[in-house]
Amino acid sequence: MALSLPVVSARGLVKAFGSFTAVKGLDLEVHKGECFGLLGPNGAGKSTFIGMTYGSVARTSGDLSVFGLDPRKSARAIKKRLGVVTQDNALDESLSVRENMRLYAAFVGTNARVVDARIVELLEYMNLAHKADAPIGSLSGGMKRRLVFVRALLCNPDLLILDEPTTGLDPAVRHLLWGKVRELHAKGTTILLTTHYMHEAEVLCDRIVIMNRGEVSGHGSPRELIAQYAPGFVGLFDVQQKARVTEALSVHRAEKRTAPAPLETSSDFTFHEDASMITVRGPTLESLSSFCSARGLVPSQLRPSNLEDVFLKLTGQGLSDDA
Amino acid sequence: MMHNVLDSARLCGHITRRNWAVYRKDLFANISPSLADPALIMVSLGLGLGSYLSNVNGMPYMNFLAPGLTVATTLFTSFFETSYGFYVRMTFENVFKAMLTTPIGPAEVVMGELVWVGLKGLVMALGVSLVLACFGLASQPLLLPLVGLMGFLVGVACGAIGLISSGLIRNINQFQTVYSFLIAPLYFLSGIFFPIEQLWTPLRWLAEVFPLIHGVRMAQALFWNVEVVQTLALHGGIVLVQALVFGSIAYRVIHRKLVA
Repeated sequence: MALSLPVVSARGLVKAFGSFTAVKGLDLEVHKGECFGLLGPNGAGKSTFIGMTYGSVARTSGDLSVFGLDPRKSARAIKKRLGVVTQDNALDESLSVRENMRLYAAFVGTNARVVDARIVELLEYMNLAHKADAPIGSLSGGMKRRLVFVRALLCNPDLLILDEPTTGLDPAVRHLLWGKVRELHAKGTTILLTTHYMHEAEVLCDRIVIMNRGEVSGHGSPRELIAQYAPGFVGLFDVQQKARVTEALSVHRAEKRTAPAPLETSSDFTFHEDASMITVRGPTLESLSSFCSARGLVPSQLRPSNLEDVFLKLTGQGLSDDA
Repeated sequence: MMHNVLDSARLCGHITRRNWAVYRKDLFANISPSLADPALIMVSLGLGLGSYLSNVNGMPYMNFLAPGLTVATTLFTSFFETSYGFYVRMTFENVFKAMLTTPIGPAEVVMGELVWVGLKGLVMALGVSLVLACFGLASQPLLLPLVGLMGFLVGVACGAIGLISSGLIRNINQFQTVYSFLIAPLYFLSGIFFPIEQLWTPLRWLAEVFPLIHGVRMAQALFWNVEVVQTLALHGGIVLVQALVFGSIAYRVIHRKLVA
């Protein structure tokens, strides 16, 4: 896979808006056939990067190529092979569903003889065929999102860009869209996804880059990232239990220091608190649960670490070892 | 190269087609002001005030006023389309955000919009001319199809001015400033309502920079059937140059809005 030319390649990519630098020397490669996730908090530079790939944002410096072409010089050639699920739906509210899709099919140069069949096929694929002649305003949020997928697929894209595709959608619609994305991925479509939902990235992505303040702060497969940055398990507690948890931890640490041999539960626990909960991280489920039962603590959840823990750690918003 | 130009033209055509598809959904509402305004002016100024003015440039005031009204209609049709209309499409309806992920670029957006207002200008100028001709206000009705040419050129040039203002204003209310200090003065001081020679010379020279005064001369030549060829060549040429100059400024300004 790595032998073929990357579909997207960025080297030292920089974008500054006046004195604010949104992307600070980004290096990344998206390979053919993979689902690549770009994660990061609001303002991390994800959408700026996405905009640069199709020429809606002009880069300040560095190199960027898509399909081996420079978006600054060959935006149109790139965009002919690109489908984008834009962050805002940006559907033409003045036109019906079918009119919207016909217009976009014309933009991407779909053969006029097959265009209506292609639209019907994609509307059926996204379970929207019954809405073909409805005005955009009558569609629910989930339907609009599915229609944006239809729009992005009209040109049979070699690269499908999903810019926060499921933000604001209910779980049922989200799962439906995930299913579609996995089908497209299985068929070999290269996918570049940005999302705030860590579970979404974990479910869909082969490889992930976590961005923070315009820079890459971690990259790898979801498993690799978890193993590297947040291994083990976490116990979650209500914030009201803060005093009890911190006391239990300090007792535990004092015992550990005085103990002649390491206790079974003596491995390092880390503590983190945010506005909604207290998180204690430990190396194994057993160590964490025996710590809790020994100290009479009842966690609201005991679970393996996930990408969300990695995200909070890497973006400076959590799991600091400050207990 | 040639392929690229053809591709660009095809994409412009689709943007124009999109605007037509939306426009036609509310055709009556969209067309009414363009036809009602000149009719009202004709009644109030032409028939009302005009009954006191029997000799303006050697003709009744109605005949003097008629050609200019075709140009005024073109001005308002095209300016409002590329100011309020375009601004709403760009800012509130987000029409271009998704378009720009397709092979369409800012150049196609600007050209597509200008072709659209050119065609609107053409149709409106022609429509108003035909109505006026029915009242016997054109001395050679066979020349009137050429008013459409004036409508196209003035439509593109005034449309480009509208696009420039769309690219420069900070919020939609600021169009009122553009209207009060540019569009309204052009409307009143470009020779539509009184012979342009009467206008204070420095102001007249200022008016020459804008397309309206040249459109008025073209329409007057066609309605009155005087010096048609020379006027169309000279003033049509000037409006063409203005359309190109304003159009390229519009491209720069809109490019900055669409590409961050």
